[in-house]
Amino acid sequence: MTQTFTLQIDRAEGSLQRLIGLIERRGFHIDRMSVADAGQQREVRLTVRARDEARCVDVLGRQIDRLVGVSRERSVSEPYQEGAVVCTA
Amino acid sequence: MTSAAASQNIQADAEQLTGARLVVQALEREGVEVVFGYPGGAIMPVYDALTQARFRHILVRHEQAAAFAADAYARVTGKAGVCLATSGPGATNLITGIANAMMDSAPLVAITGNVASPLMGTDAFQEIDILGVTLPIVKHSWIVRDPADIPSIFAEAFHVAQSGRPGPVLIDLPKDVQFASVRAPRMPRRVALYAAAADPAQIRRAESAISAAKKPLLYAGGGVRIARATGQVRDFVRRTGIPAVSTLQAQGVIPNDWPESLGMLGMHGTRAANQAVQECDLLIVLGARFDDRATGALAKFAPNARVIHIDVDAAEIGKLRDAHIPISGDMSAVLAAMNPRPPAIADWAETCHAAAIEHAYRYDAPGEGVYAPALLKELSERAGEAFVAACDVGQHQMWAAQHCRFSDPRAHLTSGGLGAMGYGLPAGIGAKLAQPDAHVCTITGDGSFAMNIQELATLKRYNIPLKIVLLDNSMLGLVRQWQELFFDRNFSEVDLSDNPDFVAVAQAFGVDAFRISRREEVSAGIERLLAADGPCLAHVIIDPMANVWPLVPPGKSNAEMMFGDNI
Repeated sequence: MTQTFTLQIDRAEGSLQRLIGLIERRGFHIDRMSVADAGQQREVRLTVRARDEARCVDVLGRQIDRLVGVSRERSVSEPYQEGAVVCTA
Repeated sequence: MTSAAASQNIQADAEQLTGARLVVQALEREGVEVVFGYPGGAIMPVYDALTQARFRHILVRHEQAAAFAADAYARVTGKAGVCLATSGPGATNLITGIANAMMDSAPLVAITGNVASPLMGTDAFQEIDILGVTLPIVKHSWIVRDPADIPSIFAEAFHVAQSGRPGPVLIDLPKDVQFASVRAPRMPRRVALYAAAADPAQIRRAESAISAAKKPLLYAGGGVRIARATGQVRDFVRRTGIPAVSTLQAQGVIPNDWPESLGMLGMHGTRAANQAVQECDLLIVLGARFDDRATGALAKFAPNARVIHIDVDAAEIGKLRDAHIPISGDMSAVLAAMNPRPPAIADWAETCHAAAIEHAYRYDAPGEGVYAPALLKELSERAGEAFVAACDVGQHQMWAAQHCRFSDPRAHLTSGGLGAMGYGLPAGIGAKLAQPDAHVCTITGDGSFAMNIQELATLKRYNIPLKIVLLDNSMLGLVRQWQELFFDRNFSEVDLSDNPDFVAVAQAFGVDAFRISRREEVSAGIERLLAADGPCLAHVIIDPMANVWPLVPPGKSNAEMMFGDNI
C-alpha cells in the first residue's frame, strides 16, 4: 500500500534533506517525488511505501507534522479519532 | 577625513552591533545564566563578545561534556541548556550530547561556529557540514546567513527546543556572520510556549474505561518529569488508588513507600511491576513510549490490556502499540481534567501491593565486600530530599535506578534512550550548577568514568562541590554480565583490571578522593563524601562478578525474568 503526502515546506537550508531523511529513517521508501516553487515555500508531493508491515503510515504523517516549517494538506484531527491510530499497513 | 567625519563614523560604529554581540544579547534576552563551551578558531568572535556577557561561561575540557552538562542543566531547570563549540571537531564532538538530548527529550540549544560563508562547501580547514550531520538528531536547525536574523533565529530556536516535546536544536554561525556589523537587526516576536489542548471527548472515554476497569495500571514515563506533572500524577493515584509502574526516566514520580508503587518495569524492573503489566486489563500510559528496554518482547507486553496513551507528542501514540484511547496534550491539563469515578479494584491493588512486598529487594547479601545496591540505597537516604543522582551507563546505572530513593523524577538524571557512557560526570556538573543547594552525586563506573574523566579539571577550576561515587569492578560489568549469561561465558574485551589508580588520578586533578574497599567502611565513607566542602570522589571497590538482578533476557517477554540471589 502506498500513500501520497502533499506538503508545503519552508525554503530553509536543509529542509528537503530533513524531510527525505525522516521518511527513509522511519522505514519508508519514496516511490515518487516532485518539488515545485510555491512562492515563499516549496510544494512537495511524495508517494511513500512502508518497508515492512510494522510501519504505520499514520505515525509517519504525525512524525512529518513534528517537523518545523513543514505543513501537510490533510487531516489535522486525524490523531484524535477513534481507530485512526490502529495500523493496518 | 575631517575630524567631524571621523567622529560621525565612530558614532555610526558605536550604534552598529556585530553578529557575535547579537548572539550574546539573544542569549541574555532568553534569560540564559550558564553556557557550557570550548573556544576555537571559527567561534572566536563570539568568545570575544562573551567577556561582556551577563551570563556565566563554563569552560569544559571536551565539547561532549559541554553538551552533556547543558542537557543535565536543562533536565533539572526545565529551561533550555546551552552549549557552544567551534566548527569541525568542536561541532562533531557535540554530537553524542545532542543525540542524548534528542533521545531523552531534553531542551538543548547547541551553537557552533563554522568557517566563513565563502569557504563553506570547499572542504576548508575545520569545515564540517554540521547541519547535515545532525539532521536526524535535532528538532530543528539553522545556518545563519544574514546576521540581522540572529535575534529572531535565536528566539525561535529556544521556542522550538522548549515547546511541546522538548529536544535539541542547533544554530550554525559562519565566522563572517559573527564578524559582520548589523545596522537593523530584525527583532523577534514573543511567542508563548504552547501545548496542544487534548480532546475532551477522549478524556470522557478514558474516565469511563478507568471506572470500568478491574485491573488498571499506570505506566509512567519520562514525560511526567518533562511536563512537570509529578504532582498531578501523584494526585491522580491518590484519587483512584490505581497501582503504578514507572520507567527508568520516571523513577521518583511515585514515592517508593506508597502502596501503589510497584517500582520500575522492564529489563531490570521489579517482579511486581512486570507481573502487574502482564496481568492488567487497562494500561494508562503517561508520557512513555513503549521503549524495548521497558516492554521486552512487544507482542507479549500487557497482552490483556486496553491502552489509554497520554502524550504531548502525537507521533508517539500508536508508534509501537495501538492506543484504544489516544490523548495528545499537556499531561497536567489532561490529568486535572480527568476525574473518573474510582474503580472498584481493592483485590487487584492488594495483589499488586502484596507482590511488591513479597519480592522487595534484599540488602543482606553475604560477604564482607561492598554490596553496591545497599551502598546506593544508603547514600540516597542519607542525602535525603536534596539527593540528585547524575548516573553514567552500566550496572551502576541500573542499581541506582533500582535502589536509590528519589524525591522527584528531576532528581534522577540518566542517559536512558541513548545510553551514553560518559554522561555522569558532566551531567553532575550541569546539575550542581543548576541546583547548588542539592546533594548532587555522580554515580559512575570505572568504564564510564574514563570516558569524560578530563572533566575533573572543570570541577577543580570552578570548585564545584559535586560528589562522585565511582563503583569500580574493574570490568565493563554489564557487557561482562551478558557474556556470562548469553555468550557462554566467553569474556571478550571486558577486563579493565589495569585501570589507573582513580584516587591518585582525582588527586592529581586537585580533587579530594578516598577509597572504600570493605562493607564496614561504607557508612563513614558516605558521611565523608556528603560532608565534603568541595568536589570529592569515593572510589568504591566492588565484586567484579556482581550482576544486576532481576533481568529479562533481550528479546524475551517481561514474564520471563531471571533472578539472582538478592530477590
